[in-house]
Amino acid sequence: MSHTAEPIVMDLQRKPNVHAATQAKGEALVSALAAQRVASDSVAKHLTALPVPHRRVERWKHTPVSGFWTDYSEPVVQTIEAAGCEACPVPGLHAYRIVFVNGKFDAEASDLPVHGGVRCEPLSMTASGVKAGGNLESSDWFAALNGTFAVEGMKLHVQRGVVLDRPLLVHHHTHGPNSANFLRHEIEVEANAQVQLIQWSTANESASGMVNLLTNMDVASGAIVALDKVQDEAGAVHHLAFEQINQAQSSQVRVHTGTIQGKWVRNDLNFRLDGQGCDAVLNGFFLPKDKEFVDNHTTVDHRAAHCTSSEQYQGILYGSSSGVFNGKVFVRPDAQQTNAYQQNGNILVTDKATINAKPELEIYADDVKCSHGCTIGQFDEEALFYARSRGIGETEAKAMLVHAFIGDVLDGFAVQEVRMEVEHRLATKHGWETWNDTLENA
Amino acid sequence: MVNIKELQASIGETPILKGLNLEIKPGEVHAIMGPNGSGKSTLASVLAGREDYDVTGGSVDFDGHDLMEMDATERARSGLFLAFQYPVEIPGVSNINFMRAAVNGKREHEGLEPIKGKDFLKLVKEKASLVELDGRLRNRSVNEGFSGGEKKRNEIFQMAMLEPRFAVLDETDSGLDIDALRIVANGVNAMRSPDRSFLVITHYQRLLDYIVPDFVHVLVNGKIVLSGDKDLALKLEEKGYDWIKEDVIA
Repeated sequence: MSHTAEPIVMDLQRKPNVHAATQAKGEALVSALAAQRVASDSVAKHLTALPVPHRRVERWKHTPVSGFWTDYSEPVVQTIEAAGCEACPVPGLHAYRIVFVNGKFDAEASDLPVHGGVRCEPLSMTASGVKAGGNLESSDWFAALNGTFAVEGMKLHVQRGVVLDRPLLVHHHTHGPNSANFLRHEIEVEANAQVQLIQWSTANESASGMVNLLTNMDVASGAIVALDKVQDEAGAVHHLAFEQINQAQSSQVRVHTGTIQGKWVRNDLNFRLDGQGCDAVLNGFFLPKDKEFVDNHTTVDHRAAHCTSSEQYQGILYGSSSGVFNGKVFVRPDAQQTNAYQQNGNILVTDKATINAKPELEIYADDVKCSHGCTIGQFDEEALFYARSRGIGETEAKAMLVHAFIGDVLDGFAVQEVRMEVEHRLATKHGWETWNDTLENA
Repeated sequence: MVNIKELQASIGETPILKGLNLEIKPGEVHAIMGPNGSGKSTLASVLAGREDYDVTGGSVDFDGHDLMEMDATERARSGLFLAFQYPVEIPGVSNINFMRAAVNGKREHEGLEPIKGKDFLKLVKEKASLVELDGRLRNRSVNEGFSGGEKKRNEIFQMAMLEPRFAVLDETDSGLDIDALRIVANGVNAMRSPDRSFLVITHYQRLLDYIVPDFVHVLVNGKIVLSGDKDLALKLEEKGYDWIKEDVIA
């Protein structure tokens, strides 16, 4: 399945909006990277024509990019062994694994699927190599930067009707200062095939620089894909993740994005529902603290009739952290009988935390059901007092309310081990003792 | 057990309790009645440790400890329980996990290990039967979608689970039909014991037909102005509060 770029009526970036100083910094970055590594010329040309994002561009209004204008170097560490961390960040997970360290494929640490009808390999080893393409690069400078410099990533092809017997974990690890990791994942799932994917990003304490991930996923008719995305990066990494998911008739895709830790994270998740009867689910949570920044931009483009989409993003912001949620839903004229739901809830724990939340629904069909809700609030003081009046400590009472607030999103992770590890890591980060203390575990 | 001396409390600049005195001995049931705005619910909130109120004077001794020095959690763990007038809904937190955290908080305070799942479920079953709280409600989110009566029964269930030494019931009868009132009162009566005390705050004498108090006090304008036995409640029911304002205070 391929799509030629076409003008989107609602595209907010129709007019190039250039900020000269930022543009110059972006160009300097491109030159510096080009001097260090192989660049794809065709995309590089396109890249120079794109505006570098800045504060006066709507999609980047609350997303500071100044952290990117720094020096990058070729990383020293290129294997999990040298990094001294676990190849599989999820204990007890029985999954296939493809591991990238500082943007390089680590064959030793990987355990590629051996399964009829499934081809999974690092992009650098595929016959065709890395191809430019995908509609993200056509509009976004950072995505085009990936298109220009990504020489590695995963190529996954699942043949018609094949059900992969285990989840496939894609582990990105960033190690040490000033990395610039570009990875591109090309995923093609043929008709009626099924696959569970996990993307897990880690970084060590001394890590800094940029992680720039771009995933193109084509899901053919009747196929079912789940993607659990977990971001747990120590250090000072700037993390960009672009996903373009194209769904054909009657396919189902669920993406769950959990941001546990990260100095600066931007997720740009785009669904394109091309065939009738598609179902898209996109849920996420983010719990930044200190000065962390987490941005979730999502787009669901309903282009065909009888599709459903359901979106829930929940944020709890501690310390002086900040967050952005922007949820676009387009319902095109032909997309009758669409059922689209969007919910975004935010809790500001301190008066220094900020959230910029913006639901954007554009509906051009007249026989549809679309609903959205957006809340920004604080911890429910009455509920906290009630819990404390029963002898529950304040920290634990808050942990309970957090659990309740993001519970639906946690429940949605496709792989149970992922969910449990996510809960464990959240509890560790926030100092909660009795997390997930359910009677089922008694 | 509880000794309240000259207690004064205000919300913002407005004084509500203006020198309240009350001593409650082990095993006693005291009822507090009074007109709207007299400070009944403020007294309950101040005892439980709600931080919206400023305690501006006086003292509360609880089993030899200065209650006002403890935060809400510590008070609960030390054996104080408040049955809320308006129990709070907590969506997404199951009633049963909520109670287990509460029970384990108390056990931690007493230097005990967390309760075993099996023992806990046994305890839940036993205590829930006391107020006829069915299993469906135990597994639902705390108070979410409960009827008024179910919420109040849940309060008494929680009280039974935590076995407090001193329980404050803040208008537990409000919003209850006669059957629910009887169930709630039976739950309370089953818990009466020589070393457990109750402070029952109510507008109406009706509740006191079921939970028979040892003492009845009338709270007017932040002070206890009249005390008596259960017959005082009957007199109030018959004559209202105006005569007190006229005869006693004047």
